[in-house]
Amino acid sequence: MGDKADVWQGTLALMVLKTLQALGPLHGYGIARRIEQTSGDLLAVNYGTLYPALLKLEQEGYISSEWGTSDNNRKAKYYKLTRAGRKQLDKEARDWEQTTEILARFLAPGKESA
Amino acid sequence: MRPLRALFMRLAALFSKDRQEREVAAELEAHLQLHIEDNLRAGMSAAEARRAALMKLGGVEQTKENYRDRRGLPPLETFWQDLRYAARMLRNNPGFTAIATITLALGIGANTAIFSIVNAVVLRPLPYKDSSRIVTFHTKTSMFPAFTLPLTWPAFEEIRSQSIPFEEATAYWETDRTLTGRDQPEVLPVTAVSTGFFEELGGSAEQGRLLSEQDHAPGQDRVAVISDSLWRTRFAGDPAVIGRQLILDTEVYTVIGVAAKGFAFPEGSEAWLPLSLTPEIQRNQMFFRFNVLGKLRKGQRLETLEAQLGAIAERLAKENPRLGKDYALSAEPLLESRVEDARQSYLVLLAAATFVLLIACANLTSLLLARGWGRRREMALRAALGASPGRLRRQGLVESCLLGLLGGAAGIALAAGLVQVFLAIAPSDTSRLNEISADWTLVWFALGSSLVSGVVFGLAPARRASRMDPNDALKEGTGGSVKGTPLFGNALVVVEVALGFILLIGSTLMMQTLAHLLHQNPGFRTDHLLTFDLPQRSNWNRKDSEGHAAGQIARLKDMVAQVRRLPGVEDVVASDHGILDGMYFEHSGLQLEGALPESSAVTEGVIARYISPGYFRMLGLPLVRGREFEELDARSAHKVAVVNETMARQFWGTLDVVGKRLNESTDAKEALEWNEIVGVVADARDVGIQDQARPEYFLALFQWDVGSHYLIVRTQANPDALAATISRQIWASYPDQPLTHVMTLSKTIAESVGDQRLHTVLLGVFAGVGLTLALLGVYGVVSYSVARRRQEIGVRMALGAGQATVLRMVMRQGLTLVACGTVIGVAGALAAVRLVASELYGVKSTDPWTFLAGAALILMVGCLACWVPARRAMRVDPMVALRYE
Repeated sequence: MGDKADVWQGTLALMVLKTLQALGPLHGYGIARRIEQTSGDLLAVNYGTLYPALLKLEQEGYISSEWGTSDNNRKAKYYKLTRAGRKQLDKEARDWEQTTEILARFLAPGKESA
Repeated sequence: MRPLRALFMRLAALFSKDRQEREVAAELEAHLQLHIEDNLRAGMSAAEARRAALMKLGGVEQTKENYRDRRGLPPLETFWQDLRYAARMLRNNPGFTAIATITLALGIGANTAIFSIVNAVVLRPLPYKDSSRIVTFHTKTSMFPAFTLPLTWPAFEEIRSQSIPFEEATAYWETDRTLTGRDQPEVLPVTAVSTGFFEELGGSAEQGRLLSEQDHAPGQDRVAVISDSLWRTRFAGDPAVIGRQLILDTEVYTVIGVAAKGFAFPEGSEAWLPLSLTPEIQRNQMFFRFNVLGKLRKGQRLETLEAQLGAIAERLAKENPRLGKDYALSAEPLLESRVEDARQSYLVLLAAATFVLLIACANLTSLLLARGWGRRREMALRAALGASPGRLRRQGLVESCLLGLLGGAAGIALAAGLVQVFLAIAPSDTSRLNEISADWTLVWFALGSSLVSGVVFGLAPARRASRMDPNDALKEGTGGSVKGTPLFGNALVVVEVALGFILLIGSTLMMQTLAHLLHQNPGFRTDHLLTFDLPQRSNWNRKDSEGHAAGQIARLKDMVAQVRRLPGVEDVVASDHGILDGMYFEHSGLQLEGALPESSAVTEGVIARYISPGYFRMLGLPLVRGREFEELDARSAHKVAVVNETMARQFWGTLDVVGKRLNESTDAKEALEWNEIVGVVADARDVGIQDQARPEYFLALFQWDVGSHYLIVRTQANPDALAATISRQIWASYPDQPLTHVMTLSKTIAESVGDQRLHTVLLGVFAGVGLTLALLGVYGVVSYSVARRRQEIGVRMALGAGQATVLRMVMRQGLTLVACGTVIGVAGALAAVRLVASELYGVKSTDPWTFLAGAALILMVGCLACWVPARRAMRVDPMVALRYE
C-alpha cells in the first residue's frame, strides 16, 4: 500500500467529477473504489482527503448530494454532477490535456534538437 | 463567483453544526459498511473484513476533523470559541470586569464626548452648499489697528466685477431692526443681503420664495424672507404667512417666503431683506460694514486669490489715500473664520480627554498583567496541551477587546450624557452650538476607540502570557519566587503619574484664572444691578434732524424719571452701553489740549462712553478731581467730559486736568466741538472683567445724539423680581419701544466668563478622573507587588526585619515611582501649558507655586496610595507566609 501514489488534491477533484460523469450518481465509497480500479490499483485514495474534497466540490456547486439506498439496501449519501460541474469538468479536462501535452513535448527525447 | 459561493456555504454551515456532524458520521459509517460487505464478498471472514476496511479508512476521527476544517471557517470558529471563553472569564470575575469597565468608560466617554463636539464645531463642513469653497473677506487698515473689519461697498464691487473668477460673490450686512405691530416690540437680528446670497449658500424656502434679482430693484425692495423660528414664534406657524406684513423700524415689508428650517446664516438671523443702499454709501470708502462671501471655482486656490486681492487693495488705496499705506484685503475659508477662536481650546480639551484614556489604558494593562500572573498556571496548562503561542496571544487580545467593547458601551452612555451637559452649560453664543448632538459619529468613534484601546492595553499582557515557559510555571508553587523585574509595570505607573500631573497643573491654572476673573474687583458695586437695552431705530440712511435728536433725549429722560418713581428702585441712570458686556466704542486720533506731546501724539484705543448724570454715584466710582455730569449739562450748554485716572496720567502726566479740553477729531475741517473736562474718575473695568484699566473718557449722554441707549437700574431687593415691572412700566408709555438684554449684572459677569468657566469645569473633571485613575494605578501596582513578595517579606521578617523596615521598603518602592512620574510630569507640563497660556488670566503658565503645590499634592496622595498596601505588608505573619508554599 505504501508504494502507491497518493492522489493530489487538484487531480482528485477532476477524477471525482469524471467518475460521476461516467457512472452517474454514486456514493463516496463507490467513487473511491472506481478511482482505484481505473488507475489499475496504482492509486490509493486517502479517505481522509476524499470526503473534504467532496464537501469542497459540493460547496462550490459542482456536485450535489442526497441520501439514497445502495444495491444491497444500505442507506448511503449519493453524489451527482450538476450542470456547473459538467462545464467545470470539460474545462479542467481540457486544461489537463493541454498541460500534459506541453509536458510531453518537454520530456520527449530530443526530437526538435535534431 | 465559486469561491464566494463556497464561502457562503461555509458560513451557513456554522449554524447547522449538529445536523452536519450527524450526517458525516452516518456517511462514514455507510462507507465502512459498504467496504466490509465488499470484503465479505471477496471471501474474507467477518472479523478480517472489518479490520481491513477500518485500516483502509484510516482514523475516523482524523477524517472527521479534516472534514470539519473544510466544512466551516476554522478561524471564525476559533474566534467564536475565544469570544465565549473571554465572556465566561469576565462573567466569572465580576469585580475585575466592573472595575475595568468603569475605568475604560471614563476614558472613552470623556474622549468620545469631546470628539463629537470637536467634530461638530471644528471638523465638519458648514451646512451650506459647497461650503468648503466659500471664503470670507477682511479689511486691515491703520485707522483701526486693533480690528479686522468687513469691507466697504467699493471694495466689494471691485471683488465682484474684477477678474477674480468667483462662481458667486455676495455681500450682506447684519443689523438689528425693531419689530413692532405684533405683540411686544422686539429687536431682531436682520440681514440685508445683495443678489446671489441664497444661491451662494444653497438656501431654500419652505414656503413662498427666496429673494430674487427683481426684489433688489428700487421701489420693489420692501420684501422680506423670514426664518423658520420667526415664523413659528411671531406668526404662530400661520400657513398663510406669505403676503402678510412685517414692520421693521416702522417700515412695512411684505413677507414673500420662509427660509427652510435649519438655514441660519449668519447665525441667529431672523429675516433677510434686499440690501438697498444710497449712492453715498455705495461710494463711501470708509464705511466698513459689508461682509462679503465668495465661492471659489473648483481648483481655484486661496493663494492666487490673495495676490489678486493685494492688487485691488493697492488700487483702492491709490484712489483714496485716507485708507492708508497698509490698507489690505484678505480672504480666509468661512469655516476658518467661524471656528478659529474655538479650535485651540477644544484641542486642549481633546488632549486632556486623551490623557485620561491613556491613563485608563495604562491602568488596565497593569491590572491584566497582575491577573496574568494569577492565571499563569492556566496558561501554562493550555500551552502544555498544545495551544500555540499565537493562539494564546489571540485569546488574550480577544479578551481585552471584549473588555474594551464593554467599556466602550458604557462610554457611549457617558459620552451622550456629557454632550447634554456640555449643551446645558455652554454659553449660548458658542459657535455652531446647535449643530452639536449625540449622534452616530459618537457611537462609531466610541466603538473604534474601544477596540484600539483593547489592543493597546491588551497587547503587552497577551504577549507575556504567550511567552511563558509552561515548564517553569507548572513547576512553581502558588507563592513562587519572583522572576524578572516588574520594570514594565513600574514604567506604566510612572507614565500614569506624569500624565495625571500634567492634567492637574493644566486644570489648576484654569481654575486660578476663573477665580481671578470672578473675584476680582471691577472697581464698582456690581450687586443689585439690572441692565436694559433700549435699541434706537437705526437712522444710518436718514438725514438726522436736530428735532429728532431732541425728541430721543426727552424720551430717554422721561423713561429714567418713570423708572425712578417705581417702588423698589434705588437709582437709575442712562448710558450708551451696558456694563461688562464687552461692547465699547474705541476712539483714535483725539486732540488733547495741553497734553504731553510725546504721549498724546498718537491716541489709540481710547474708550469713549456716553453717560447720564449720576452714573458714577450709582456705580460707586469715586471722583478724584472735579465733579460728575449734572442736569445743567444740557444739550444747549457747552459740552463737558470726564476722564479716568489712566487717561489723565497717560496723556497729561497728572490728575489735575479739570479745565483742559478734548476734541474727538484732529482734523481741523471736521473738528467737532471741544469738550471741557470737568472731572477725573477712578479706573473701573466696566467693559470686560478681564481687561486691564485703559484710558477712557466720558461725554454727557444728554448733550449728544447717540445711537444706543441703555438703562442701568440699582434695585433695593432681588433685581430679577423687578425686571418685569420695569419693562411693563416702559411699554405702558412707549408701546413701540423694544427692550432687550434684561439681565442682572451678576448674570452678566457669569456670562462674560462663560467660556472660561466651561473649559475649566471640563478640564477640572478630566484632571480629577485622570488623577484618581493614576493613583489607583499606583495603589494597584504596589499592592500587587506586595502580594507577589509576600513570601520574601515573610522570610525577611523571620530573619529579624522589623515592621518599620518592611513599611519603609514598600513605601520607598511606591514613592520612587510617584516621584519619577512627578519629575517627568513637570517636564511634560512645562511643554503642555503653552497650549493654554493664551486662556490664562492673572496667573503665569509657569507659575512656580502651582507646580510646587501640584507636586506636593501628588506626593501626598501617592503616599496614601502606598500606605494601604504597605500596612498590609507590615502585618504579614512570617509563619503564615512561609507555610503558604
